[in-house]
Amino acid sequence: MKKKSGFTKFLGEYSYIFVFIIIFIGYMIANNGITWPAAMNILRHSAAVGIIGIGMGMICLTGDIDLSVGSMLAIVSGFSVVIFNITDSVLLTLLFSLAFGAVLGLLNGLLVGRLEIPAFIATLATMLIFRSLSQYFCQHIGKDLIGGGSSVYKMINANEQYKPFYNFGNGKLFTIPNVGLILIAVTIAFVYLSTSTRFGKKVYAVGSNAKAALMTGISVAHIKVMVFTIAGLLVGLASFIWVGMNASSDPATTGNSYEMYAISAVVLGGISMSGGRGRILGVLFGAMSYTVIDKIIVALKMDSLINNAIKGVILLVVIAIQIVTPKIRAKLR
Amino acid sequence: MSLLEMRGISKSFNGVQVLKDVSLTVEKGEVHALLGENGAGKSTLMNILTGIYTRDSGTVLFDGQELKDTTVRDSEKAGIAFVHQELNLFNDLTVYENIFLGKEYVNRLGKVDKRRMIREAEELFAQLGVNVDPYVKVQELSTSQKQLLEISKALFFEAKLLILDEPTTALNNSEIEHLFGIIRSLKEKGTSFIFISHKMPEIFALSDSYTVFRNGEYIGSGRLSETNTDEIISMMVGRTYTSAEIYTPRKTGEPALKLEHYSGPGFHDISMEVPRGAVIGLTGLQGSGASALLQCMFGILEATGGSLTVNGTPVKKGDIHAAMKAGMALLPSNRKENSVIPDMSIWENLSLASQNLGTGSFHVNRKAEEAKYENYKEILNIRAASSQDLITSLSGGNQQKVFIARWLNTGAEILLFDNPTQGIDVGAKTEIYRLMEKLAGQGKTILFTSMEVPEIRKVADLCHVFYNGSIIGTLSNDQIDETSVMRYSTNSIGAQQPGRGGEL
Repeated sequence: MKKKSGFTKFLGEYSYIFVFIIIFIGYMIANNGITWPAAMNILRHSAAVGIIGIGMGMICLTGDIDLSVGSMLAIVSGFSVVIFNITDSVLLTLLFSLAFGAVLGLLNGLLVGRLEIPAFIATLATMLIFRSLSQYFCQHIGKDLIGGGSSVYKMINANEQYKPFYNFGNGKLFTIPNVGLILIAVTIAFVYLSTSTRFGKKVYAVGSNAKAALMTGISVAHIKVMVFTIAGLLVGLASFIWVGMNASSDPATTGNSYEMYAISAVVLGGISMSGGRGRILGVLFGAMSYTVIDKIIVALKMDSLINNAIKGVILLVVIAIQIVTPKIRAKLR
Repeated sequence: MSLLEMRGISKSFNGVQVLKDVSLTVEKGEVHALLGENGAGKSTLMNILTGIYTRDSGTVLFDGQELKDTTVRDSEKAGIAFVHQELNLFNDLTVYENIFLGKEYVNRLGKVDKRRMIREAEELFAQLGVNVDPYVKVQELSTSQKQLLEISKALFFEAKLLILDEPTTALNNSEIEHLFGIIRSLKEKGTSFIFISHKMPEIFALSDSYTVFRNGEYIGSGRLSETNTDEIISMMVGRTYTSAEIYTPRKTGEPALKLEHYSGPGFHDISMEVPRGAVIGLTGLQGSGASALLQCMFGILEATGGSLTVNGTPVKKGDIHAAMKAGMALLPSNRKENSVIPDMSIWENLSLASQNLGTGSFHVNRKAEEAKYENYKEILNIRAASSQDLITSLSGGNQQKVFIARWLNTGAEILLFDNPTQGIDVGAKTEIYRLMEKLAGQGKTILFTSMEVPEIRKVADLCHVFYNGSIIGTLSNDQIDETSVMRYSTNSIGAQQPGRGGEL
């Protein structure tokens, strides 16, 4: 078998890095250069969607999809605010966020893995349910629990731990935002999990050929339940970060379209939607690419309503290149 | 004049000649059996007749007219109907909608005339003695009803010749009788049939005449009343066979595996005891139950009765993990579908099964796994550049060796190989059979299915022949030959072969 030259192989496997670099250069041009804090801000704003995207990436590796992550972010972050208001404890809020996210993920996982409802439909349903419940409870629980607001979950700033929590969400460690560090830590953990553990190998095997995976003794249903639960856990973590950053959560807008951003980050990151192919590392770059696009639009003083149109075009262009390049290469051979 | 005359038909695919100057003549009002082993060219010829393939040379005369450049529509119009083995019905449509699909009666406004279609369907069913409600959806019908619906559909549009491709495989005896009754009465009325089947008793029960093909060549034809099963089988398999390699008897040990009245989907009441170190061949026609037996033993399908014990311990039914823990391994058939993880490298494909067994570390030690692969590569003679190449970069034979290694790596003692040489070239086939002998020599117990009798004879101590879900005959190595296997596979053991096997 002929070996591909090192460069084209690198280009093929790490195309997401090139996409990011090109977009980043565009940002530098629009912004007349780049400062360290501005660069760190990209990391900060990528944190929530990046962490959710990594969970989505794990799901996509098995060949499924989770449309509920945006709504899940809304309900978990909203309820986390309530828990914080009651307990006045950052630690308990964190534990609640993680546990609640994991439970909702488990619910998705059971629907898809055990009841074998197609993931698109099961998570479409839970997407509607999570968003609606988040809005409903915001209106129908005691005002003191949601920080006295009307239709937004607000952290009570008289709470003793309000300051530490908010400082965590907006603070920095050696000039790097805390939440950015969490994103990097999560990325490293999931790169390891997906490439170097038994669980990771099984995830890829299920996505690549579920029937053959079953024949080697892998419980396909179990793996599916697991990846959805893990994705829920990560949404829980993202919810905690969201609350720390914003000190509030609006059930009507929090996490809106995040499922689409997460899926886009996954696709830009080179993970195949049919499963079995791609790298979790790509999701980090995919998520950051989208954040940079936001920044470019702000830098150019454009109406932010054009935002999604540009994101959509970039997504199409990148995918078209990914699909067309191998065909051209095959013809040239 | 004959209804159908096909003369000098030849056909090649990609330079491989699959039909060499074959002929077929079918008279009006007869059932003509088209016989031959798998790959003899029967299907290709039928596909040429119905316009699915185009012929390279030869002439086709049907009902006095020459058919040239036939399309599927032309052949239908001429009155030829092909009832395929996998039925071409639309499950979500009703019975009458299926009959009239694409040929619906419409009134002047272009609306379909549902009432007329249903009335005519009912009339036809009454005439044929078919008990099917035109209103029900096809998915609610039994297989035999579907089969009859296909035939009715063909007759409705006045087919003169019906091609029945193994119509009885999914039917039970009374359903077969009913079908045959209908075919006989249609025959009386002048309809002709080409009947493709592997079951000797029904071929003789139903057909008037026959044509035999072997390896794409015409071997002979005549009246069935003037021949017998033996003659037909020897025409189908060829007279002589010489084995290139000679089987050497091997020593076997204590019983390793025991099946008692073991039943499951596709087979029933199987009992056998297999000693350690034995190589057992299982054969039979497609769907005879041998493959289903292996899948059931490994827990892919759930057994419905009886017991399976390994080294004296019963194995839980329908549980792959339990089977693996008991020391069993299944190399499934259809490698591409059931074995290949296409996005993974060679070493990842190899290490996958052992990772699902027992307690191992969470971390996958790539260096250690690759070292294991290098070891198997040596033993099994796997030809590959790098362990990190994708599994799909290997040839079928080398892939199969990797999958054998996948299971050896689990430490399995009982190896179930389902059609292990499917789709791999001759050289690799020989290697795989040599490997099986070597493994048996190391004390592994092997059960394998195969349709290729010479291969079974090369390695198997015993060969169980399956027919209709049960073992109809058991041959020791010296008894294994194509004629006997074919006789059992087609359930045509005559009085001339008393006491030969069959006790299981």
